Amino acid sequence: MKQKKFETTNLNIGFMPLTDCAPLVVAKEMGIFEKWGLAVNLLKQNSWATLRDKLHSQLLDAAQMLAPMPIASNLGLGCAKTDIITPFVLSRNGNAITLSKQLHQQVLATLVENKVSLPFAAGHLRAVIKHRKLLGNKLKFATVFPHSCHFYQLHSYFINSGIDINDIDIVVIPPANMVSALASGEIDGFCAGGPWNAMSVAQGIGFTGVTSVDIWPDFPEKVLAMKSSFQQQNRQTINALLAALSEACSWLKSVENRFEAALMLTQKKYLDAPVAVIAPSLLGSCLTLQNSEPRLVQGYNSFTRDVSGEQNKPLVQEGLKILEHMTLCEQVSPCEDSRTDSILISGIYREDIYQQAMAELDAKKLVHLKQPVSDKVHQNS
Amino acid sequence: MNDKNKLSLPSKLNVLLVEIEQHKTTPIEVSLDPERYHIVRVSHSGLSLLKAVESLEPDIIIIDIESPDRDMFESLNQISNSKPRPVIMFSEQDDTNTINELVRLGVSAYVVGEINKVRVKSIIDIAMARFSENQLLKNELKLTKEKLSTQKNVEKAKLWLMQTKDYNETQAYHCLRKMAMDNSQKMDEVAKNMLSVAAIFEGTK
Repeated sequence: MKQKKFETTNLNIGFMPLTDCAPLVVAKEMGIFEKWGLAVNLLKQNSWATLRDKLHSQLLDAAQMLAPMPIASNLGLGCAKTDIITPFVLSRNGNAITLSKQLHQQVLATLVENKVSLPFAAGHLRAVIKHRKLLGNKLKFATVFPHSCHFYQLHSYFINSGIDINDIDIVVIPPANMVSALASGEIDGFCAGGPWNAMSVAQGIGFTGVTSVDIWPDFPEKVLAMKSSFQQQNRQTINALLAALSEACSWLKSVENRFEAALMLTQKKYLDAPVAVIAPSLLGSCLTLQNSEPRLVQGYNSFTRDVSGEQNKPLVQEGLKILEHMTLCEQVSPCEDSRTDSILISGIYREDIYQQAMAELDAKKLVHLKQPVSDKVHQNS
Repeated sequence: MNDKNKLSLPSKLNVLLVEIEQHKTTPIEVSLDPERYHIVRVSHSGLSLLKAVESLEPDIIIIDIESPDRDMFESLNQISNSKPRPVIMFSEQDDTNTINELVRLGVSAYVVGEINKVRVKSIIDIAMARFSENQLLKNELKLTKEKLSTQKNVEKAKLWLMQTKDYNETQAYHCLRKMAMDNSQKMDEVAKNMLSVAAIFEGTK
C-alpha cells in the first residue's frame, strides 16, 4: 500500500497516571501505534506543571493535557507564552466532587429526611458553609491545577447554586495527595478525576455526590497537545498519531473492552492502582458511598462524541467556553472584542488538523475496502 | 573578593528544601553554607507544605522537578496573593539542553545531580539575581502598559479636538498641554476628562 512518508516514527508522549489516559495506554498496549507505523514511548509524569514545561522545552513531543492548558500556554498563564495546539480531544467527563465523610454527615444532620438525592445539590451545603465561615474556618475544597476544568467546574457548581465563592477556600493539591488530605481532614472535599474519587469511597473516607456529567455534560477533559511548530514539521506523523488514537477511542466504546482497558491501567507503569477503583467509572458506574449502591452515570468516562465527524474534534466553541470561565475566575482579563477571542481559540483548538487527519483515515479505509486482499497483507505485516 | 555584592543581600537567606525521598536532597543540604543559609527541610506534602511556605517566608524554594507538589507552587501566585519567590529545581537528569530550556522558560535555576559547595553558592546567587531581574521586567511591563494607555487617551483627545475644532495635530496637542498646565494636571487626566465630556455630548446629539 502506498503510504505517505513519515517525518519521524519515534514519538515521546507524556501522560499523567489517571483513568482517562486510557486512549494512550490502549493504543500502546494493543499495538495500534505500531500498526500505524509509530514507535511511541509513553512517559509517566508527576505534575501538570512539569509535564507542561517538558512539552514547552520539547523534551516531550506531545502530551495528554488538561483541556484548558493549551489556552493557558498561549496566554502565558503561569509560564512563558508558547504556541501549544490541540488537534484531538482524548476524553470527555470523568471528574467528580467528593466530600469528606464528616462533611457528608454534617449535611445529613441538617436535613429533615436524613437522606440526599443524587446528584447532590450544592445548596445542601449552605448551612455548613455559613456556620464554618462564622467560626473563621471556611470549608476547604481542593482541585488539581489552576487551569483545569476541575477548577472551573467546582466554581460553576457553587455559583450555580447561588453560593458566594468567597465563602469557601479553594486550594490546589496534587491528585496523588488528594485522598490522604481528605482522610486527615486538611480538606473538606475535592474535585478530581479518576481513580481518586472511587478510591476515597472505597477507603470509606468520602462521599461522591456529583460528577462533571451533572455540571458540564460531555465537556472536553483531556486533550492531546503539542507545539504548533512540531505539528507543522511532522504533519504526516501527526496524522498517523491521530488516526491511531481515533482507533483506540473507538475501541473503548464497547463495555467488554472497557474492562480490558481497566486491567491494562492497573499496571505499575501506568496507574498502579487496583482494578476495583479504576473499572467502575470506565463502566459508567459512580461509587458514591461505602456499602451503598453505586450510581449509574452514563458516559462517566467518555472517549468519543456521538456525533459523526466530530468524535474527537476539538470544538472552538468549547475552547471559547473555557476562556469564558478563565475570565470568570479572573485568571485572564476580559477581552473587549469577542472576534479576537474566536481567532485566538481557533488557532489553538485545531478543528482543521483533526478534520484533515480523519479525511485521510477515511480515504485509507476506502482503499482497504476496495482491496480486501492487500488489507489482510497489511494487517499481517 | 565579592564582599561588596554580599552587602546588598540580607545577612542569612531562608531556604526551603522540599524533598520526596530523604536521601536525595542531602547532597544539596550539605553543600549549603550554614553561615549564609538558614535551611528548613520539609518532606511532607500537600497543605502542610503550603503552611510551611507561609510561616517560613522562604527567600528561595528548592524542589525536585519530579515532585508532584510543583502544581501546588504553581497555584501560589495564581490563587492566593502570596509573594512570588524564586524556585530552584533539581533533578538527576543530566542534559544541558533541558536545563537551558527550563531556565529560559522561567524556572530560576536548575541543579543537576550531586552538586558541590562552590557551585551551589553561585547557582543560588544566579537564581536570586535572575529572579529579581524578572520581577523588574514584570514591573517595567506593567508601567509600559500604563504608559501606553495614557498615550491612547491623549491620542483620542487630540483626534476629538481635530474633528470638532478643526485644529491640526500641533494645535490640538498645544491645546491639551495648555489645559494641563493651567489646571496643573497630567495630560492624561485632561485627555480623560475631555473624552468623558465628549462622550456626554455624543450621547445628547
